[in-house]
Amino acid sequence: MSKLGCSSRLMVILGIIVLALFLTSFVMGPLGSKFFNIQVPKNLQVSKPFVQLPSEPIFHIGGFNITNTVIASWVTILVLFLLFFSATRKMKIIPGRMQSFAEVVVEGIYNTIEGVAGEKHVRAFFPLITTIFLYVVTNALLALIPLWGTWGPIEHTAGGTVIIPFLRAANTDVNLTLSIALVSFCFIEYLGFSKIGPLKYIDSFFQFSALGKAFGKLFKGDAKSFISGFAFGFINIYVGLLEILSHFIRIVSFTFRLFGNMTAGEILLGVMTFLVAFIAPVPFYGLETLVGFLQAMIFAGLTLVFGVMAVTSHHEEGAEQH
Amino acid sequence: MESIGINWQLLVAFLVNFLVLFGLLTAILYKPVLKMLDERQAKIKESLEQAEKIKEQMSRSEEQIKAAVVAARKEGQVIIAQASQIAEKIKEEAKDGARQEADVIINKARAEIKLERDKSIAELRSEFSNLTVLAAEKVIKESLDAQKHLKLINEVLDQSNTFKRN
Repeated sequence: MSKLGCSSRLMVILGIIVLALFLTSFVMGPLGSKFFNIQVPKNLQVSKPFVQLPSEPIFHIGGFNITNTVIASWVTILVLFLLFFSATRKMKIIPGRMQSFAEVVVEGIYNTIEGVAGEKHVRAFFPLITTIFLYVVTNALLALIPLWGTWGPIEHTAGGTVIIPFLRAANTDVNLTLSIALVSFCFIEYLGFSKIGPLKYIDSFFQFSALGKAFGKLFKGDAKSFISGFAFGFINIYVGLLEILSHFIRIVSFTFRLFGNMTAGEILLGVMTFLVAFIAPVPFYGLETLVGFLQAMIFAGLTLVFGVMAVTSHHEEGAEQH
Repeated sequence: MESIGINWQLLVAFLVNFLVLFGLLTAILYKPVLKMLDERQAKIKESLEQAEKIKEQMSRSEEQIKAAVVAARKEGQVIIAQASQIAEKIKEEAKDGARQEADVIINKARAEIKLERDKSIAELRSEFSNLTVLAAEKVIKESLDAQKHLKLINEVLDQSNTFKRN
């Protein structure tokens, strides 16, 4: 009982500290200083969040600008490499802790992909989908570590003092999201061409075979069904063009969905930290963890679904329905 | 495009990064782990199959044992029947043997008795004739009357062992 009492007393003390931190940072923050007219020393103020969409170059190698997001993505690659290298260095039938972790990750994603794509295609999808997921989620989660976005030289500009961080959330660079979107697009189209054959894949857009069937009807002398078939054939070609356009639009939507969500998250965290430096941003960090997972799942999942759509042609879908 | 920072150099850098990560993860994560998972699955399958096989074998050998027991029981019964038959035969043979032996003994005894009788008759006869001779001598030596005759015979007979009056 005394132990319980002690721990509850500790909880009360912790609660008071949290509340005090919150109130102090609230009062001394920009909101509080407006209400209470307090002048806070300049070096205690949190700087205004500065929205900088392009990433900042840190150093140059030859003609290449190495920006902070590139460095962050290197760190992500390094972290993933070290994590899984240590886990799979000595593979055993009876796994240790690290190997179990790697197996859980691989098996979980593998089973999910198998559930969507089926046993036939799972090996084709697995490596790329998993890489996308792990890359995006690790980028997002590492960016929540305080080292990201805070550590770097301070630059004085007309708008105020700005930190140019050495590490910046990699997902907030549109080039990164665009690069994954391009890979995803190429992967989907490659799968479509290779798995169901180039002619069949193109035909799955335009339904030329239906048009050909209409001409076949003409030779048989069935003029009425030729006309309707011919008309539908042209509609199909138009729909096919729209569909091809939608495939390209996927690149844009992939790019800006991830970029937008991650950038918005970073800005949200910056604004919350600016308004109330302590405690208040904590729930938003939790939210951003969730968003990071979610966006990685969405990116990988959509690539998977589009890929499955590409490898199961429209004819097959029709055949399955009958 | 510039304002959000699309830049082909960076794009290429990130593409390279992604492909490097793809290659690395394929080498250090997907291949070994999937191989291990496949291996383990194969192993589990194999051991399950083996267990099934062992189970089958066990039931088969159990059946075999049961059959062997049944066969042994049958064989035992046959042996017992045979043994009792043999015993019967032996008993029969022994009986026959004994009977034959007894017959032999009896015959032998009979023959011996006959021999003995013949011998004793012969002895008797010879003694009797001797006696008769003896009596005749006496008769010849003394005068014969009826009274004397009878007395004489009795005397002779008394002298013979066989016809001695007790």
